[in-house]
Amino acid sequence: MPTVSSQDVLALAPVAILALGGIALLLSEVFLTSGKRGYQAFLTVLFAATAGLTAFGATPGKVFAGQATADAFSAFVTITVSFGLALAALVSASWLDARGAERGEFYALSLFAASGMSLLGMASDLLVAFVAIEIMSLSTYALAAWMRRGKKPAEAAFKYFILGAFSSALLLYGTSLVFGATGSTLLSDVARGPLQAGGSALLSAGLVLVAAGLAFKVAAVPFHVWTPDVYEGAPTPVTAFMAAGVKTAAFAILARTVLAAYAATGGAADSAFPRVLAVLALLTMLVGNLFAVPQRSVKRMLAYSSIAHAGYLLLGVLAAGLPAVRERALSGVLFYLASYTASAIGAFAVVGALESNGQPGDEPADAWDLERLAGLSRRRPLLAFAMTVFMLSLAGVPPTAGFVAKLLVFQAAVGAQYLALAVVGVLTSALGAYYYLRVVVYMYMRPAAEGEPAGVTSPVLSVALAVAVAAVVVLGIGSEPVASLARAAAAVVR
Amino acid sequence: MTPLESYFPLAVVFALALVLGLALVGLAALLGPRRPSRVKEAPFECGSDPVGDARGRFGVKFYVIALLFVVFDIEAVFIYPWAVQVRELGWNGFATMAVFAATLVAGLAYVWKKGALDWE
Amino acid sequence: MADRAELWIFLLFAIPLVIAAAGVVAARNPVNAAMSLVAAFFFLAGIYVLLVAHLVAFLQILVYAGAIMVVFLFVIMLLQLHDQDMQDAKLKAMQWGGIIGASGVLTVVALAIQQAGEIHWKAVPESFGTVKAVGMLLFTQYLLPFEATSLLLLVAIVGAVVVAKQRI
Repeated sequence: MPTVSSQDVLALAPVAILALGGIALLLSEVFLTSGKRGYQAFLTVLFAATAGLTAFGATPGKVFAGQATADAFSAFVTITVSFGLALAALVSASWLDARGAERGEFYALSLFAASGMSLLGMASDLLVAFVAIEIMSLSTYALAAWMRRGKKPAEAAFKYFILGAFSSALLLYGTSLVFGATGSTLLSDVARGPLQAGGSALLSAGLVLVAAGLAFKVAAVPFHVWTPDVYEGAPTPVTAFMAAGVKTAAFAILARTVLAAYAATGGAADSAFPRVLAVLALLTMLVGNLFAVPQRSVKRMLAYSSIAHAGYLLLGVLAAGLPAVRERALSGVLFYLASYTASAIGAFAVVGALESNGQPGDEPADAWDLERLAGLSRRRPLLAFAMTVFMLSLAGVPPTAGFVAKLLVFQAAVGAQYLALAVVGVLTSALGAYYYLRVVVYMYMRPAAEGEPAGVTSPVLSVALAVAVAAVVVLGIGSEPVASLARAAAAVVR
Repeated sequence: MTPLESYFPLAVVFALALVLGLALVGLAALLGPRRPSRVKEAPFECGSDPVGDARGRFGVKFYVIALLFVVFDIEAVFIYPWAVQVRELGWNGFATMAVFAATLVAGLAYVWKKGALDWE
Repeated sequence: MADRAELWIFLLFAIPLVIAAAGVVAARNPVNAAMSLVAAFFFLAGIYVLLVAHLVAFLQILVYAGAIMVVFLFVIMLLQLHDQDMQDAKLKAMQWGGIIGASGVLTVVALAIQQAGEIHWKAVPESFGTVKAVGMLLFTQYLLPFEATSLLLLVAIVGAVVVAKQRI
């Protein structure tokens, strides 16, 4: 008999609120036909805030026959995702309104995606993880295709869909092999290892396929090829939400899966699994940063930068394999995700505000060229200041959130004896400073080109940018409250 | 009775269907009179003109309808295992299914009101 | 005796299944490939029935061979490929890389399965795989993914409308 306890329902409240919010916006779009759509972004923010608050309310523990876990870790993920959703909704409102493309479906799909992400943060079963990933991915595929005209958006949406479907297939195939070896899809059962001694190779093969499927979602090298094109072609607010939200949720389930995999394959020291992760982290840090350097398009540069940040996060997940530093490494990863959410959405919001406002989807090839930022400090001093804060945070310069995040992750890596990787991390961060600061140089030291438009801003965008700047600075200077929250979240994950 | 034996009647039905189909077509070819004419030899295509490119382009609206069909088809598949044991699952099962169906009813309401079912 | 009969029936489905699956890959004309895929789905459903997985077999016919294939055909019609578009079938370096990579993965998985050795299967109850048993699992152990699936289907509906409707 199906029995659902009140604990089950309470634990699922954030996911349900986000989903119900999506349904409400969907129906309001078709039933309220006044044509005024200003309320939609605010409703989205409201639902995101409610979901974030209810994430605290759940009694910690396993729910739905062990298929999901409500704990401080899932609460942290939900709050980060909700924060990202609220920011992205405000940014979208301004961007879409300027292009006459604001519809309830946009916010509904964002809310559904966030609901999937929140569920992914709770998932402790590979099957739940798969369904949650699909909810998140299907929504983001449709959002990427939002501006349907033009060559680049179509290419981006198509590429994202095909490669995303492929990675889901890898994930599902891996899950079936894991089920064959362990007789269960529960991560807690997977952690116990194969049913029979001979099954360890089968389990490893399955886990590697699952990890490869997740590596697609977090855009780790060599599974990153789709990222630059998709990030550049998708509508800018969607890119912002994709970069922050999908990364947060995918890293949450990756961390849980990797920990189970470590336990199943007999500790961190003598198995091949950490070595695979180490190679992925190394490649991702190197390729992401090296390819970001020659980019003239700021949007594309931010796409490569998102790959580079996935590399640092992978380093943190790798370090979490060692029980002695697990708590420190995981809390570093969580803090990093929160900091990246604020910085990346802010940076993409500025890029979106400066985009040419012509025919939707028909942006010229240099729509996001560095030149467009030239002299921004004189045209729009506040916008330039906000962008500077985001760039410093992404580069990891104190006193911003990005600095604290990098520090926590690199400390954990050193603690786990991954010295060489930590050195590579620091060196590539220095390289990263070059291309992030180049943006700042353009804004403050280059004269503006003739007839450069001032860009679009609206009150909602200003609010979003102010909140993002405040988050980046507060996380950088007074990082302790959030860091302790992250530590508490990391402590509950075994 | 092993599981395999329980399928024997099914196999008989399939075999009969095959025999019947072959027999009807075969007998018609064998016994029927053949008086071919130009009109009779033209391929029959439900009244539409059968001449032209076989790969005519279908509008994208077919695709929307087909995809909606798939989604509601899958919903039907999920209702099936619930329906065969609705009494064992009781009211809890009913509530579970109600939540599942309500989500999709919201989807149906959206699609209907949006006009995605209209033939533009 | 029953084992022997089961083997024959298995081969009756398995051999055409492999031929049909090869046909999907080898067919030049996408419509032919799609038709081969329908055949493959039917034979696969036969194998599911042989495994007493009635619900999966039913799903295979109803959803895959029925609904999904319709979408496949519509997409093929929509793309409107012509014969000359399909002449350029030479394998490019990228595709060779894909073939090598895929066979590498398949080899590893095959070796892993072989290394697992003789698996001492757990005996499952008589009813395992029947519609009732799957339904019971679906509404108890796997309740959460089941409910989440309804949200997934809703997203699919909205996504289809957003992407393909002419005016939104």
